[in-house]
Amino acid sequence: MVLKLYGYPTSTCTLRVAVTLKEKNVPFEFIPVDLVGGQHKTPAFTANQPFGQVPYIVEDDGFQMYESRAIARYIAAKYAGVGEQLIPKDLRESAIFEQGASIELTDYEPFVSGLAWENKFTQMYGGTKDEKRAESLLATWRSKLDAYDKILGQQKYIGGNKITLADLFHLPYGSVLLGIGIDEFSSRPNVARWWNDITSRPSWQAIKDGL
Amino acid sequence: MVLKLYGFPISTCTRTVAATCKELNIPYEFINVDLAGGEHKTAEFTAVHPFGQIPYIDEDGFKLFESRAISRYLAKKYAGNGPKLIPTDPKEEAIFEQGVSIESFNFYPSAIGYAKEKVFKPMFGLTTNEERAAEHLETLNAKLDAYDVLLGKQKYIGGNEYTLADIFHLAYALAVVEAGQGGLFESRPNVARWWEEISNRKAWVDVIEKGV
Repeated sequence: MVLKLYGYPTSTCTLRVAVTLKEKNVPFEFIPVDLVGGQHKTPAFTANQPFGQVPYIVEDDGFQMYESRAIARYIAAKYAGVGEQLIPKDLRESAIFEQGASIELTDYEPFVSGLAWENKFTQMYGGTKDEKRAESLLATWRSKLDAYDKILGQQKYIGGNKITLADLFHLPYGSVLLGIGIDEFSSRPNVARWWNDITSRPSWQAIKDGL
Repeated sequence: MVLKLYGFPISTCTRTVAATCKELNIPYEFINVDLAGGEHKTAEFTAVHPFGQIPYIDEDGFKLFESRAISRYLAKKYAGNGPKLIPTDPKEEAIFEQGVSIESFNFYPSAIGYAKEKVFKPMFGLTTNEERAAEHLETLNAKLDAYDVLLGKQKYIGGNEYTLADIFHLAYALAVVEAGQGGLFESRPNVARWWEEISNRKAWVDVIEKGV
C-alpha cells in the first residue's frame, strides 16, 4: 500500500508535499478532498486534521500527520539516502538550513499568501480585493526580496550552498503569483538566478500544474 | 568565548531564544540592540542580519538569525544538557515538526497580529485597526478550538514531551494574555492545562522575571 496524500490538486500546501515526494521518488496515491463542497470541515475530516486544512498523509502502517512543511521534513528524513540531502546533516549546515526555512515562514509566506488571497483567491470565493492591504503587502514583500537578493548573492540557495527543503517551500506561492502577473523575481538578479534554478527541477516540473 | 545573543529585552523572539538557552543551561551574554535608535537598520547591522531584525547570535564568529533556527541549532548542539527539546525517534520527530508548523501557521500569525494591534501599536503611539484586531481574535478563537482537541489527545503541542514546539508559543501567548485575552486559554480545559504548565516552567519564568 502506498503513502496516501489527501489534498487539493492545485493547493499550494499539497504541492509543497508533492514536490518533496517527487524529489525522493516516493510513490504516492493522491486522494482529492472536496474543498468546494466543504469536505474539509466535516467531522470525518477534522478527526484527521483538527484545523480542517489540507494536506495530510497516511502511511501504510496507519501513521498519519499534517502540516505540509512537517510532512516534507518527515519524508526528507525518512528517505535521506535518496536523491539530494534536502536537510543537511552537519550541525552548522543544518543551522543555515533552518535559518532559510525560518526566512521562508516569516519573510515570505505571510506576504505571498496575502498577495495571492487579495489578487486571486478572494474573488474566487466571491470576495473583493482589499487594495490598501494588497499595496501594503507588496511594498513589504519587495523590501524582503531586496534582502533575499543580498543573501542569494552570498550563498547559492536560501538554506546554504546546496538545494534544501527551504528552497522547495517557496515554489508553490511564487508560482501562483507569477501566474497572475506578479513578478518580483526577474528584476533582482540573484533572486532570478535562484528562482530559475529551483523551478527547473524535474520534481517541480512534474507537478507544478496540479495533481 | 561565551555565546552572544543580540536582541531586545522584551522582544518576543529574543525571549524565545533566551528560554531555549535557560532550558539547556547554555550560558550567554545578552547584548542590547538600540531599536529606538534604529541600530537594527544600520549598514553594520544589516551586514549580519539582512532583514534588519532581532535577535541574532554570534558563536565565536558563527552568526545565525531567526529565533526558531537559533533555538533549533542550540537544541541540537546541547542535546544532552537538559530536556530533549527535539525528539530523535523518526515518528516522534514528525509529530514534533507538525507541532512546530502548527505554531508557525495556526497560532503565530493571529496571536502576533492581535498583540500588534492591541499592545505594540499603542506602545509606539500608533492607532489600533479595530477591524483587523477583531479578525485576528476570531481566527485565534477558531484555532484554539482545534488546539483543545489536539491537547486532549497529546500532552504537548509536539507530542507527549515538552519540546521547542511549546517554547515557540510562549512569548506570543504571553503577548495575547497581555492584550487582555488570557480567557482564550483559560476557557478551554486542555489548552488551559497546557498553558498553565508551560508558562510556569522555570526557564520561562526566569526569562520573564529576571530578564533575558
